[in-house]
Amino acid sequence: MKKILALLLVLAMTLSLAACGSSATGADGIADEMTSKDGKYQVAFVTDVGQLKDKSFNQGTYDGVKLYANANGKSYKYYQPANGNEATDDDRVDAFRLACDNGAEVVVAAGFLQESALRTAATEYPNVNFVFIDGYPIADDAGNILTNIAAVAFQEEQAGYLAGYAAVMDGYTKLGFCGGGGGTNPACQRYGYGYVQGADAAAAAKGVQVELTYSWAYGSSFSASPELQAMATGWYNNGTEVIFACGGSMFQSIAAAASAEDGKVIGVDVDQSFESTAVITSAMKGLADATQWAIAKHYDGAWAEIGGGATSLGASDNAVGLPTETWSLTGWTVEEYKTLFNDIASGNVTISSELVVTPESTANVTVNYVE
Amino acid sequence: MTFVIQQTLLYAVPLMLVALAGVFAERSGIVNLALEGIMIFGAFVGVLFVRSMQSLDVFVNAARAGNWLTLQGLELLAMLVAAIMGAVFSLLLSFASVNLKADQTIGGTALNLMAPALVLFLIRILANQNTLMMTTGDAASWFMIKKSTLGIDKDVNLGFLGETFLNKVYLATYLCILVFVVLSVILYTTRFGLRLRSCGENPQAADSLGINVYKMRYTGTTISGALAGMGGFVYSLTTANCTSNGDVAGFGFLALAVMIFGNWKPLNIAMASLLFGLFKCIAAAYSSIDINGDGVYLLAELGISSHLYRMLPYLVTLAVLAFTSKKSRAPKAEGIPYDKGSR
Repeated sequence: MKKILALLLVLAMTLSLAACGSSATGADGIADEMTSKDGKYQVAFVTDVGQLKDKSFNQGTYDGVKLYANANGKSYKYYQPANGNEATDDDRVDAFRLACDNGAEVVVAAGFLQESALRTAATEYPNVNFVFIDGYPIADDAGNILTNIAAVAFQEEQAGYLAGYAAVMDGYTKLGFCGGGGGTNPACQRYGYGYVQGADAAAAAKGVQVELTYSWAYGSSFSASPELQAMATGWYNNGTEVIFACGGSMFQSIAAAASAEDGKVIGVDVDQSFESTAVITSAMKGLADATQWAIAKHYDGAWAEIGGGATSLGASDNAVGLPTETWSLTGWTVEEYKTLFNDIASGNVTISSELVVTPESTANVTVNYVE
Repeated sequence: MTFVIQQTLLYAVPLMLVALAGVFAERSGIVNLALEGIMIFGAFVGVLFVRSMQSLDVFVNAARAGNWLTLQGLELLAMLVAAIMGAVFSLLLSFASVNLKADQTIGGTALNLMAPALVLFLIRILANQNTLMMTTGDAASWFMIKKSTLGIDKDVNLGFLGETFLNKVYLATYLCILVFVVLSVILYTTRFGLRLRSCGENPQAADSLGINVYKMRYTGTTISGALAGMGGFVYSLTTANCTSNGDVAGFGFLALAVMIFGNWKPLNIAMASLLFGLFKCIAAAYSSIDINGDGVYLLAELGISSHLYRMLPYLVTLAVLAFTSKKSRAPKAEGIPYDKGSR
């Protein structure tokens, strides 16, 4: 008996190490699932890792799909690759095949992890167009760029910059950053590095010193976890005032820690102020708008403009920024924000879009990296 | 220090309660390997209850008006519901091992396999995703007791004890400790407790004295199920922000280890849980632990790999069991189906 117990315990320990794991206005009124009359679904969405209703990246992108489909009378459906956060390329290819076999005319794929699966799917279904959100152009095995894939990426560093700038201007000097993807996600890296640069610029303007606790821990699957909540609670407890929750459902854990410790949170991708009163602002990128824009290119017969190419949207396209309708900052006004935003859009303020995993301390920001 | 104690308690209390659940079953002679499964099921039922009750006007208004007593009531009800459903779930195990005289290890394992699958299946149907969470707000803003909830100004210092045990705490934590103490006393000082324990040591002798062994084993396992179900919900409420995703991070198995390490005795179990709770706390938040309050985060500055800290709770479990299991003394008749004819 005891031996069996011991064996089970060891098994349990190895198994339990695996990781465990919602928006915009307007789109919430549209059902996530619809039934089409002919059983075909014209616009398909294949999710990234994490939940569909992560109140962030997946949901923001899907909102775009729903809004376009609803406004233009198209049928739509979402597909989550099997095996959740451990989805393999095969699982993703299966999701794409299912979408195409269900009559998809245009498929929206969220997240750079889909690259390999997208290559296979786009080669197999040359008549279907694919929108690759947070992606880049993909070549087939022969080295030719696949023209039925349109890559749409964002200049997240600008949104991160604005968020970091806003936090410091609002009087916070002890910041935190919790990023998703374990430091391998380019979008999160750009957000994070932009955040550091923004905080540095604002600290220089205000003449203050800022401490920034920076970590990729517990974020590899973009999900909420007790460990992440405990870590964030610890940070707040030690004086961190505001944490940039940069990774899908990780927001839930950090917001929970913030409510417990009376801390603050900066949301990501979409305006998350509706999710928690602890949110001071959100580093947004126009997922829903960009998705609608790309799908429209397909139906308007203008696919050739974006197919095979890379579109990088930033402040100059009004695709990144902070939410001004739900503005709650008192130390920094919407007008001041707009001035900075225009400077970024016009190129007066330049922000490095380098992919940095562990940013160095700057003149005004001391970065304390937590493994 | 306050932070360490609070986080340790958050992890230790569900562990303690579930380990006691194990004790109740094993003392009656049933090996309850299904603790993990029952915890997962209890967590799901509790979260589902909170989620469906949340939209009722009475709770919506209470949350808006800061009427914390009503919200604590919701928390207690959810604990109760989780306990009841945990008990119901454990009847499957009792039925298989008492009535059908099946192998208890297999029965328990079956429940462990079934619970996460069933729970995930139901969550997919109910919420259309992999995690069931509260419809609005978070666990801390709804259920946590803080200075502000008690009407004390945020800047008032309550002293070490007050800050640690009155601020940023959950009522569930204290209730679990109370349940733990009461049930431990019952197990050791009442006639019922003695009879229950006798069924785990020598059921034939107990039967010869007129004790209904089957009934006692059913009772032991049902109490065990209720405790594990409640423990599962408390775990998800206090550490996982009141969400359920078919996983309790192996806490049910950890509870079995704690039970063995604690030698099937409540006081030892409480100590063992605190030890594991502390290591869980260190694993998750080592970088923010300031041991003596001098602003030096010693554990982070030692330069030891973070992976080591994260392995600690499990390494400690292995090491401790390796050293103590020789001395451990399990109830003699546990795991053996009781057969009246074989005396």
